[in-house]
Amino acid sequence: MSERQTTVDLLQGTLATLILKSLSWGPLHGYGIARWIEQVTEDELLVEEGSLYPALHRLQARALVSSQWTISETNRRVRCYTLTEQGRQQLRAELSRWERFSVAVTRALQARRPSKAL
Amino acid sequence: MTSGRPDRRIWRDIRADADDEISYHLEMRERDLIARGLSPAEARAEARRRFGSIEHIAREVRSIDDHAARRRRRTGMWTDFRQDVTYAWRGLRRAPAFTAVAVLTLALGIGANTAIFSVLNIALLRPLPYADGDRLVFVWNEHGGGAEPLGPGRMLDLRRQSTSFSGFAGISHISYTLTGSGDPERIPASSVSSSFFDVLGARPLLGEPFHTDAADPSAAVLSYALWKRRFGGDPSIVGRTIVLNNRPRTVVAVMRPDFFWPTIGARAGATPGPQLWVPPGAGDIPRNAVDEDRDMTANRNAGYLRAVARLKPGLTAAQANAELAAVGARISAEHPEDGDRAANLRPIREQFFGPVERPLFVLVGVVTLVLAIACANVAGLLLGRGAARRRDLALRRALGATRARLVRQLLTEATVLSFAGALAGLLLAWWASATLAAMAPSDFIGDQTLPIDIRVLAFALGASTLCGLAFGAVPALQLSRQALSSALGEGSVRSSGSRRAGRTRDVLVAVEIAVAVVLLVGSVLFVRSFLHLTRVDLGLDPRNLLTFDVNLTGDRAANQARQVQFYEALQARLARVPGVRAVGAAVTLPIGGDDFGTSYVPEGIAPPRAGSEPSAGYQVVTPGYFAAIGMPLKAGRDVRLTDTRDSEPVVLINERLARDAWPGQEAVGKRLRFSSDREWARVIGVVGDIRHLGPSTEPRPEIYQPDSQRSFPFMAFVVRTETDPMAIAPSIRRAVAELDPSLPLGGLRTMEQHLERSLSKPRFFSTLVTAFGGLAVTLALIGIYAMMAWSVSERRQEFAIRLALGARGSAVIGMVLRQALMLAAAGVAVGLGAAWIASGVIAGMLYGIRPTDPSAFALTAVGVAAVALVACYVPARRALRVDPVSLLR
Repeated sequence: MSERQTTVDLLQGTLATLILKSLSWGPLHGYGIARWIEQVTEDELLVEEGSLYPALHRLQARALVSSQWTISETNRRVRCYTLTEQGRQQLRAELSRWERFSVAVTRALQARRPSKAL
Repeated sequence: MTSGRPDRRIWRDIRADADDEISYHLEMRERDLIARGLSPAEARAEARRRFGSIEHIAREVRSIDDHAARRRRRTGMWTDFRQDVTYAWRGLRRAPAFTAVAVLTLALGIGANTAIFSVLNIALLRPLPYADGDRLVFVWNEHGGGAEPLGPGRMLDLRRQSTSFSGFAGISHISYTLTGSGDPERIPASSVSSSFFDVLGARPLLGEPFHTDAADPSAAVLSYALWKRRFGGDPSIVGRTIVLNNRPRTVVAVMRPDFFWPTIGARAGATPGPQLWVPPGAGDIPRNAVDEDRDMTANRNAGYLRAVARLKPGLTAAQANAELAAVGARISAEHPEDGDRAANLRPIREQFFGPVERPLFVLVGVVTLVLAIACANVAGLLLGRGAARRRDLALRRALGATRARLVRQLLTEATVLSFAGALAGLLLAWWASATLAAMAPSDFIGDQTLPIDIRVLAFALGASTLCGLAFGAVPALQLSRQALSSALGEGSVRSSGSRRAGRTRDVLVAVEIAVAVVLLVGSVLFVRSFLHLTRVDLGLDPRNLLTFDVNLTGDRAANQARQVQFYEALQARLARVPGVRAVGAAVTLPIGGDDFGTSYVPEGIAPPRAGSEPSAGYQVVTPGYFAAIGMPLKAGRDVRLTDTRDSEPVVLINERLARDAWPGQEAVGKRLRFSSDREWARVIGVVGDIRHLGPSTEPRPEIYQPDSQRSFPFMAFVVRTETDPMAIAPSIRRAVAELDPSLPLGGLRTMEQHLERSLSKPRFFSTLVTAFGGLAVTLALIGIYAMMAWSVSERRQEFAIRLALGARGSAVIGMVLRQALMLAAAGVAVGLGAAWIASGVIAGMLYGIRPTDPSAFALTAVGVAAVALVACYVPARRALRVDPVSLLR
């Protein structure tokens, strides 16, 4: 149980970062975000599409994204999400964190056998 | 920033939004899948599979949004409020003159209310310093419509037979001469039943007071004040022996500083009371002041006992009163010597503070009106200020602020103002309470201080909030409405809003005039009533008259012969003091002194039923008393030293009694007897009437007996002097000390000082009502002047046009004054009507003037109208002095 929980947390955190990233080029609606994730990860990250929405709304409650209702070309109400200034800062922080993390892990995984002196 | 926020949605919107968002996602996915070649049914199923639980996710999204919306609303309101307060504060600081006037006005109104509330608090609200104090009642005999103390036998019967009380203690007022440490001093004290402290549930500061059926007869309990003053707060006082009336007593306890216990009188009041309590005499009966060692157990005639009792749990005072009355009637039937006396009880607050309730009510009414005027003034000020701010509000309105939002902002501003006023008012009240407590007559709230406690604070805050809402509401509603209607670009002041403001202003002015009229009528009535009181002929000559009390103890008090001997010697010695014209003594000092009563039977008239004989005041006097105090001898002769116990009993009566008993006949030579006596006494003289009970009470029948035929161990001396009586006082002291250095000289003062005390209550009330009335009228005038000045200044352009068209200045002023006169007339008419209705309340508080006195009403009406006109004339004149051309441009 607890192992599953950490997996979900990790996924959710990652999902939030992915959402912020997807909005960094401009406003998108929920489906657009889902499609972007699909394309850039080439379906490597299999996300239950629905879980996108609680994550989006939580980001909105934390004021990292904001939303406006617009009218689509098919004349439907569509909710569009925009990255806020706060969200942009958060994304930068997440990216640098990820960078350091992946560099460290990559270095560790590519390490050679330790010398005897150690 | 606060209006038109798209995120502030009610719950239903949130649900619809979540559904719309999810269904759009599903639709788009289906379209993409169909484009990839799936059949519509397959696409639909696949889209749903990929999405996951729609229901679950929709619910989660909704709850996140709800939560966020709630939090935003909360912080939004707080932010708005903080913004309003900051905004209001900045606005007030930008207009220091306006703020100062408004805060000062409110401070006066709220301060006056808070000060009076602090008096009300102590009399009616604050818990009494006894365990469950409101369950205590006082038991009285009722006779001839008045309350009387109980006789010892009757008190014991009532205590035994009534079933309504869980405790019942008798109280006898008695004073003790304290000797030993320092000058001999007469101390007001009480001898009380052994259960006294148990009935009250009062705990001591030091030691342990005596208890029910367990009282060491030589014990004494000290008040905190006496302990502090006389014994320097000695912490080892308990167990020490002190000398009272030449007899050693042991101090067993000191009561707490808040143990407040006034003199218990038939007339309710909180006059500072005993400072010392001693246990009862034989049979648990409190000792008698005349002879503290006399066994009173079988006595039914000497009515000197007050009684305090505690209601049994669950019983109301009314139930207990009914039961007590029945028991009293039964006892009276069994004991004909009790006469037709009934028994009744009086709740403790009525006993202590009874007569202050109505005056307090009147004072509360007065200060409330003062506050109403203060509010009207500030409302007017805000309105005037608001007129200048209309553009500002219109701009905010145009930027999207809702009307409710503007109203809230204006109300916040008013509340901030009134809180500032309340703070300043509390300072004022703090000062005023101390002044009030010092100025208050002694029987008003006793020697209690008036603390600013939590109740008073709560009152001040509540009052200021209400005020803020009251004087804020009118301008707030009006201005926000104007902001709606007036266009932003409108530069003219004469908009429809201004006309509406003008109407509101007229109403405020009329109301202020009306309230001022009510208060002024009251002030005039109280002042004239007080003047009447000071001019009443009391029946004696108070000028150049010195008075003091003498209380004999030990050998000198041992028997009546010794007492008379001493009084005679003292009177003779005092008469030889240079500057003394005449000397005399009586057992009670008239007007505000003690009051002895008796019932009597005139000879030759069939005696009415036992117990319903006519009653009269009773005095014992020395020869020369009448001459010394300045009471004229109308017929017959004064008492003489030769009227002794061995000669025929004699009395003098006053004209009132002579008229009552023997109308149209010569009273001298007739006989009467006291209804408790068998022996007849010869009337040897008739003296003038005296208002023994005070200036506001008509003279009653009085009987005077020579001290040589019946004496008491205490007397009040009066010394008629050539010049200023206080200048003679030291020689009087020396003369008394020469005769007996251990004799304390109590209450040395001039007769005028003594009389002053009986006038202190009417003086207190007339002073307060007049002061508050004056304050109110001043505030009203300032308000009327300010509003008139504003009104006139708004019309300056109109005046300029009229002048330019050829109107004379006097005609324009006349027009303004005519309009003002209409307002004043309306206000005065309403005020007179209200005063007429309110006059019933003060009817019983006035002397020598009817509460509807036409001259008081007429005087006030003319005065207020005249002053209101002046308040209009000045600004109108000023408006005309400006060059019309500059206004027309």
